[in-house]
Amino acid sequence: MAAAAMCSVVMSLSRINQRLGVLTLNPVHKGAAYSKGVSVRGRRGGPPSSRPRREAGPPRWEKMTPDQDWTAVYPTAAAFKPSAVPLPIRMGYPVERGVPPAKEGNLELIKIPNFLHLTPAAIKKHCEALRLFCTEWPSALDSDAHCEEHFPIQLESRDYVFAGPSLRNPQARVVTLRVKLSSLNLDDHARKKMIKLVGERYCKKSDTLTLTADRCPLRKQNKDYAFYLLTVLYHESWKTEAWEQEKTVEDMEEYSWEDSPSQRNVLDTLLRMRTLGDSADAAVDTDSVRKELLASSEVQEYAASVSRLKNEGESESSVLQYREAVKKVLRL
Amino acid sequence: MIMALYRLTGRLCRAVSQTRSLGTAAVEAEPPASGTRAIFRTVQQDPAHHSEQDLGQYYTLPPDHVCSVFPHGLPRHFQLQMKTFNETCVMVREPALELISHLKKADYSKPALRYLLYGVTGTGKTMTLCHALHYCSTQGWVVVHIPDAHLWVKNCKELIPSSYNSSRLDQPILASQWLKNFGITNKHFLSKIKTTKTYMWTKRESTEEGQPLGELLEKGLTRIKSSSDVMGALLRELRLQCSKPQDEGSGAFRLVVAVDGVNALWGRTTLRRENKNKVEPEELTVVQNLRKMLKNDWCGGAIITSLSQSGSLFTPRLAYLPHELLGKEGFDSLDPFIPVPVPGYSEKEFESCYQYYIDRKWLQHSQSHTEEGKKELIFLSNRNPAVFEKLCAAL
Repeated sequence: MAAAAMCSVVMSLSRINQRLGVLTLNPVHKGAAYSKGVSVRGRRGGPPSSRPRREAGPPRWEKMTPDQDWTAVYPTAAAFKPSAVPLPIRMGYPVERGVPPAKEGNLELIKIPNFLHLTPAAIKKHCEALRLFCTEWPSALDSDAHCEEHFPIQLESRDYVFAGPSLRNPQARVVTLRVKLSSLNLDDHARKKMIKLVGERYCKKSDTLTLTADRCPLRKQNKDYAFYLLTVLYHESWKTEAWEQEKTVEDMEEYSWEDSPSQRNVLDTLLRMRTLGDSADAAVDTDSVRKELLASSEVQEYAASVSRLKNEGESESSVLQYREAVKKVLRL
Repeated sequence: MIMALYRLTGRLCRAVSQTRSLGTAAVEAEPPASGTRAIFRTVQQDPAHHSEQDLGQYYTLPPDHVCSVFPHGLPRHFQLQMKTFNETCVMVREPALELISHLKKADYSKPALRYLLYGVTGTGKTMTLCHALHYCSTQGWVVVHIPDAHLWVKNCKELIPSSYNSSRLDQPILASQWLKNFGITNKHFLSKIKTTKTYMWTKRESTEEGQPLGELLEKGLTRIKSSSDVMGALLRELRLQCSKPQDEGSGAFRLVVAVDGVNALWGRTTLRRENKNKVEPEELTVVQNLRKMLKNDWCGGAIITSLSQSGSLFTPRLAYLPHELLGKEGFDSLDPFIPVPVPGYSEKEFESCYQYYIDRKWLQHSQSHTEEGKKELIFLSNRNPAVFEKLCAAL
């Protein structure tokens, strides 16, 4: 930019010199110089320089080969240059119900950030350059499973580079702690309690607990706070309070078939079917019959299908499975 | 031209098996000499004898059957169609056949089996229910049909506190209307079945033991205030007497309880009391009585129910699976039941319906008779019967 400013200054100086030169060189032909000056200034539309304007050549992308070094075209973050990017990109609202505008002179493409300077080839070069400052990766940690086993807790924090009056960025104090619950020593009750305590911070699919600490001003403090939180959660979930005995069916995380209305209904129905069927034998020991019914495979299948329906939510296949199970249980 | 070809093949070959492809599926079990018959109609008018051969074909219900069995049962669109075409034609479909076969095979000394019809809106659950009910009434069963349980939990103007149980609410007009329709459907049973208990309606009125059900019905229709209680008593009588083994005097009969839109019984209502408190379904007498009927503690009959999202309150529009619409409470009460899925039209059924509309001159648009038009209709309706019917209404 400074160079450009210099250029323009030089240009203006040279223009002034030219005019002066014209005037001084031909003092006799004052009229002629004046007239020349008039003719120069009077040229329609063109810039006030005597050099004719150079025609723009073919765009750069026409000369590019597919196996060129792209990192040389975009070595650093730069704006989108339509002549330097060989892709036929279109962006923007379609022009008069047609297609989006082309890339030439397209402000939308220039406004947005692009990552043309971070292609895989560029990243490779960065890695090669950084390799000088790195140590060897430990040979024992050759798979994700090994990493999980030895380092179950993952800490994440971000550093920010800021070029301004102050180098500091308040977002750099945030620390995120990730740990898998399977790597913690929790029994069934502790696990359920822990999940209830943390609420949204637990992801069921990946079994990960994510604690984000940003309440302290320094990163070290936030890190210590995150570890403190984890410790407290662990110890609290192992304790059983007195009021936990009042846990109702609605609080249960999963549907369990035992003692559910479904089990009662099915057993009642089957018992009634039996008593109606063999009404001859009066002394029917209901308890033993119940146990026998519970143990039979059809009832087990029925229990499995109902549990699936309630736990996994409904779908066509689970309803059809329930249908087959009911048909078998009621012996249709 | 294609129709003529079908008729030709129908005349020449008898009883073509159903496994042939759509283009030549022409199932006719009648002798060739009885004149041209469209392929989409079946000879078999009795639902008891419908079999897989009649799948996808229409059978006609005689008008007096329609009046007696379905005084309030058929869906509104179908009633309009009936009036327009001057005949009642119902398509024989898989779910209905499955239901009827279960009803035939079931053991009626065991507790009543519960069937639940479910499917996306507009696939024909109510029509399947009606088909099954027609079968039951031709077999001489007592039919308890509630055409739409959603009507009971919304838009009711008259709510009076029940005399029997002060925390409950009665719906007299609804109950009396239902009693009237019940009387029309089961006329011949009204004199045969007798009450087993004395019912006190008010201090001065009562129905003695041993009176025929007709009396009970009369009482309900004349004394509208106690019609909900009369309904409850009626249902109780039917339940008790149906379970009894074959007796002298009362006669064994089979009972079918058909409820459309059963998810209304366990959902929420839009009714409010005078003090603007919300009313739960449990607090309505009619709903309470119906729930007792839907329990399978009686035997000698069947309970056929169907879900309905279109009339239901506070349920998402795209929900159609049983547990979603019934909710936890409803599912646990109806468990164990046999869910019967009702899908949209298959290719054969769609073809049949299309031919029927052309035959009845319902499709007037010139392009609807072409192959292109048919493909368009298939695409637009996705073979959903209700959507197809609405589309054709505009053509």
